[in-house]
Amino acid sequence: MIGDILIGLGLLFVVIGTIGIVRFRDVYSRLQASGVSDNAGLGLILIGLIVRHGLSSDDLRLGLLFFLLLLTNPIITHSIAKSAFVRKYGGRGDGRT
Amino acid sequence: MIAVECILLVSLLAVLYRLFRGPHPWDRLLAYNAASNRMFVLLALIAVIDGRHSYLDATIVYAALSFLGVIILARFMERGGGHR
Repeated sequence: MIGDILIGLGLLFVVIGTIGIVRFRDVYSRLQASGVSDNAGLGLILIGLIVRHGLSSDDLRLGLLFFLLLLTNPIITHSIAKSAFVRKYGGRGDGRT
Repeated sequence: MIAVECILLVSLLAVLYRLFRGPHPWDRLLAYNAASNRMFVLLALIAVIDGRHSYLDATIVYAALSFLGVIILARFMERGGGHR
């Protein structure tokens, strides 16, 4: 029950983030949509899977996966944003949709 | 739970649209990162729901390797690689 609610909430975040990635105008806006909502949504789906299936041997691996997601996604977002900024990508108005 | 997998698959396809169309290289890199994130959560869903427990190990290896690839590509474009 609680696991299903968590998975549904995570799916809501993932759908919002996908709309943001497809529809926003430049790289930094898309980075913001991707970085915030993917981290929350996919993490909530993994926690929902842990909660939903009770105590089993999969929990440790799913927890490791959640930890890996939570550790690497901000690093990737920061690295892409720094790469676009160092190469003097302008932002608004520079993007051709 | 089939519905959850279908929604994640549709979201994966919508992100792949940005991967193929994105005007700048950073758009493609960001879309690749988002697509691989969705891909490994989809693999974890299949592993837990269908009871294929060996898929989870492959999922962990896939997540670590995709992180390494995206970081290396971002540093490469920062140092002046790519076509711009």
